[in-house]
Amino acid sequence: MLIVALAACATRPDPSNKAAVQAYEETNDPIEPLNRYFFELNRFFDIILIKPVATWYQGVVPDPARNSIRHFLDNLDAPVILANDSLQGEWNRAGITAKRFGINTTVGVLGLFDPATGWGYPQHREDFGQTLGTWDTPEGPYLFLPVLGPSPPRDLAGFAVDKFFDPLTYVYWNGPYTVPVTRFVVNGIDVRSRNLGTLDQIERTSVDYYATVRSLYRQSRANEIANGDVSQENLPDIDNLNFDTNEPQAVAPK
Amino acid sequence: MTTLNFVRTAAAPVAFCAAVLFSIFATAPAQAANADPAAEKWVDDISQRAIKIISDKSAGRQAREAQFSTLLNESADMPRIAAFCLGQFLRTPTADQKDEYLKLFNNFVVKVYVTRLSDYHDEKLTITGSQLKGDTQVLVQSQINFTNGREPVKVTWWLLKKDSGYKLFDVNVVGVWLAQEQRSAFTSVINNHNGDFTALLEHLKGQIADAEQGKLPPTAATTSGSSVQ
Repeated sequence: MLIVALAACATRPDPSNKAAVQAYEETNDPIEPLNRYFFELNRFFDIILIKPVATWYQGVVPDPARNSIRHFLDNLDAPVILANDSLQGEWNRAGITAKRFGINTTVGVLGLFDPATGWGYPQHREDFGQTLGTWDTPEGPYLFLPVLGPSPPRDLAGFAVDKFFDPLTYVYWNGPYTVPVTRFVVNGIDVRSRNLGTLDQIERTSVDYYATVRSLYRQSRANEIANGDVSQENLPDIDNLNFDTNEPQAVAPK
Repeated sequence: MTTLNFVRTAAAPVAFCAAVLFSIFATAPAQAANADPAAEKWVDDISQRAIKIISDKSAGRQAREAQFSTLLNESADMPRIAAFCLGQFLRTPTADQKDEYLKLFNNFVVKVYVTRLSDYHDEKLTITGSQLKGDTQVLVQSQINFTNGREPVKVTWWLLKKDSGYKLFDVNVVGVWLAQEQRSAFTSVINNHNGDFTALLEHLKGQIADAEQGKLPPTAATTSGSSVQ
């Protein structure tokens, strides 16, 4: 077991090579070989099970029905989003989440429809991983888990804490587990079915699918934490970047 | 004394609100002064040309790629982007490898983004603002509004001022900088081959060959059914 753990560690670069050390720290993926193994494992299950089911789901279930399932699941997430809006002090967004929940649960027939978006209360997502991010908690080393996918420590902890913000957790505390499991599975299938084309495209246009997914995950999480604001800060310094100078090599600041 | 303290405490939120309000009004014109209308116009032009190219149904894939390549070389700082994507390995390639890399990179970017952009054919891009970043760089914000009711997509353009015009350095689509995404893939390939630069060249060749053999999806299916997200 120890050997496996050791073998799973990415080799640290030579400490005298500053650019390599900086790049290693920026990649922040110390157990990359293990992560890649789980990544491939997930891909295997995706190919033999999840993707076929998602494709079938998309093909067989009519659009309006799938959209209603999506709206229903999104509406169930409202308490978690509301809790995190509030913890971040985003009162405006908390208000939108509360109004959305009220409107969609009543007018939207228990969340099966989403009239709130049309009334000027568009959907947004929040989770405790993002809340920790707004509190300047670093993401931690990259971690890719079977089933869950990219789950660095901050987001994994956030995922666990969010369960406690969810009233349904207490409703089904003593079982039966069929309801939470069904919710998790249907949500997974629905999300996958909505990304069939996109993920195919990314996979086929990437020189390294694993590294691309890692970058996409991190960048989109950072963007979600910033609530979609693309800021000028944290952009890499590119002023003197080209093949012909001997300027220090550009590595994006963290 | 206590009354004074009380007044102070009571006044604090009011003063705070006033300060916040003031800062909102005070920064609004400042932001406008920081904008770069010429850059906004430039992005508007370029994006219209790009959308026109990918929406041209009469042209075949090759013709589209050729047009896109011309546009890209005219408007983007390709050598700098190519250099950026190598990250820590910028100094690794030999002169020959560098030349080959630059050629492959060009070809790779054209093939990948003609495919990825096919999603956005016949759509309209609206410029929403811009800010200067230092003296030499500009960020231009825009939004793609979909005709099929899909949620608008935010796109930020990172430009470098060059001579009298602009050159594109990177594009951010819903929070993802594309050159940064490529850099992490490229450096990862080299890293996992113990710093061997030819590994990257081989991977790029492989991707380009796949694209030429039609292994890339012709158009993306993502526009259907993704109105909810």
